[in-house]
Amino acid sequence: MKGFLKNTWKHRAHVAMSLPAVLLFFFFSYMPMAGLVLAFKDFDYKLGLWQSPWCGLENFQFLLASKSTFVNITKNTLLYYVVFTAVGTILEVTLAIALDRLVFKKLGKAMQSIMIIPIFISYTAVQFIVYAYLNSDTGLINNLLGIRVRWYMEAKYWPAILTVVRMWSGVGYGSVLYMSVLAGIDTQLYEAAEIDGASKWQQIRHVTLPSLVPMISIMLLLSVGGMMHSDTGLFYQVTRNSGTLYPTTQVLDSYVLNAIFTSSNYGFTAAATFFQSVVGTALILLANGIVRKLGPENALF
Amino acid sequence: MKSKEHENKKKKAGIGQYILSVILMAYTVFCALPILLVFVGAVTDEKTLTTEGFSYFPSKLSLDGVNSVLRYGKQLFVSYGVTILVTLSGTVLGVLVMGMIAYSLSRKDFRLRSFLSIYIMIPMLFTGGQLSAYIIYTSTYHMKDNILLLILPMCVSTMNIIILRTYVQSSIPDELVDSARIDGAGEYRTFFQIVFPLMKPAIAAVGFMMATGFWNDWQNALLFITSDSKKPLQLLLINIQKSIEVLLNTRNIPSGVLAKMQGNIPQNSATMATVIVVIGPIMIAYPFFQKYFIKGLTVGSVKG
Repeated sequence: MKGFLKNTWKHRAHVAMSLPAVLLFFFFSYMPMAGLVLAFKDFDYKLGLWQSPWCGLENFQFLLASKSTFVNITKNTLLYYVVFTAVGTILEVTLAIALDRLVFKKLGKAMQSIMIIPIFISYTAVQFIVYAYLNSDTGLINNLLGIRVRWYMEAKYWPAILTVVRMWSGVGYGSVLYMSVLAGIDTQLYEAAEIDGASKWQQIRHVTLPSLVPMISIMLLLSVGGMMHSDTGLFYQVTRNSGTLYPTTQVLDSYVLNAIFTSSNYGFTAAATFFQSVVGTALILLANGIVRKLGPENALF
Repeated sequence: MKSKEHENKKKKAGIGQYILSVILMAYTVFCALPILLVFVGAVTDEKTLTTEGFSYFPSKLSLDGVNSVLRYGKQLFVSYGVTILVTLSGTVLGVLVMGMIAYSLSRKDFRLRSFLSIYIMIPMLFTGGQLSAYIIYTSTYHMKDNILLLILPMCVSTMNIIILRTYVQSSIPDELVDSARIDGAGEYRTFFQIVFPLMKPAIAAVGFMMATGFWNDWQNALLFITSDSKKPLQLLLINIQKSIEVLLNTRNIPSGVLAKMQGNIPQNSATMATVIVVIGPIMIAYPFFQKYFIKGLTVGSVKG
């Protein structure tokens, strides 16, 4: 203990340099964690969080009572996570391999630069672009195809629309990571495979894909923690927060955002948030445990 | 030299390479077309837009939309200022604060560092969520409509600290730090004059990603900012959308009032012009930072 204190005193400059970050984390990450007690309180804005009376598990009963809403929101959240992660990973890996195999390197670089740009456009701006394509009177899609679909009234189309928008926005950027791994593969491996008579496809299957596995597993692991969180902008902005679309587009995060703006259902929302945080953490610990069993070198911690 | 030989051998491009190029080109066009539509939409004549709809080849062009952006000139100017202020101060503060803790965490004989590592890991695994953050910030801190809420919560992130720490560990030799100490430089001087400047590539990568995050943040603004003088660009965009919706949802109002309202409602082309104004600076800055953030992402992916 004495040695520890001595060591800390010796490193007092490092302690001081860590302090600003430690404080920022405390006030803007740890305090909201403590704020989760909200789920067990009958919140009154006038009294504030700490003075509001406790109410036990009442909020959770409320959650169970309005099960259909809650189940639907959770289902949407999880389904979108699965679809986005699966389709996204496949497309990102495919794109990375395609760009890596292309011999016209200059062309590849130029194309990649364009593919990355969409990630830098905020969903508030993307929303207007999607609207230009889909609005029923002046939208490009309706005019081009000569149809009159009221896209913003038809919930059934939105899972597909949101997937396309999400892929347009993220795939180019996501492939950068995989490309950097591919650039690091020893070219002798390919040469050896070629000498052994491996075709281009066999090379991809037996050399390229295995070398991507660690990166894919790290990226999947990191994403698991965010399973209960969605890209709020996509679901809140791009759908124009349209009520008719809620059955297929309402996710936990956009639901919470709406609840805050209407100042309603705080009890229900607090219980849902609590559930969201706990499940998210449990999932990442579980996933990490599984990965560590299968291959310790791929685990996050 | 081995790899060069390999490159040369690969240079014999077969038919497969051309097919691959065409497919990739098609995807590139898919990525670029929506952005192009914004630019074409901004210079399309408003009447043409309402009668014929959006098109890549509009029958009539006009600069009215671009000009009428100047209609909300003052607010646009203010919002630009707010966004620039938030982006600059947030990025500088964040990079500095995270650089300092990253350097401290890279000191191997610093015993408190294992505790600090866990301390910064926990927020990545467990979050309080939007609602409790909202309640804490507004009812405990009383920070509603405070511009600091656009800056401070987004300043530090576990992932960025890990990226910076890994960079210090892998690219800045301990001998350099030690020799500075022998030469009599204090800890702070060692960091600010020697280590921090050497972290430039990692800082450029992290900084650009952070700056994009600050520039594009709409959620904190929508939740906390109420006064016009603190409204960032993204919130201005949201407000434009809201005002269009009001018009669409009140179709049964008398035509006279409607015509009057239409004067204040931004038209399609003007909206597109505003979108350009909002996304423009990032598009211009991006090519300069591209090589850094690709490098930075790569560095960060090395596990520490």
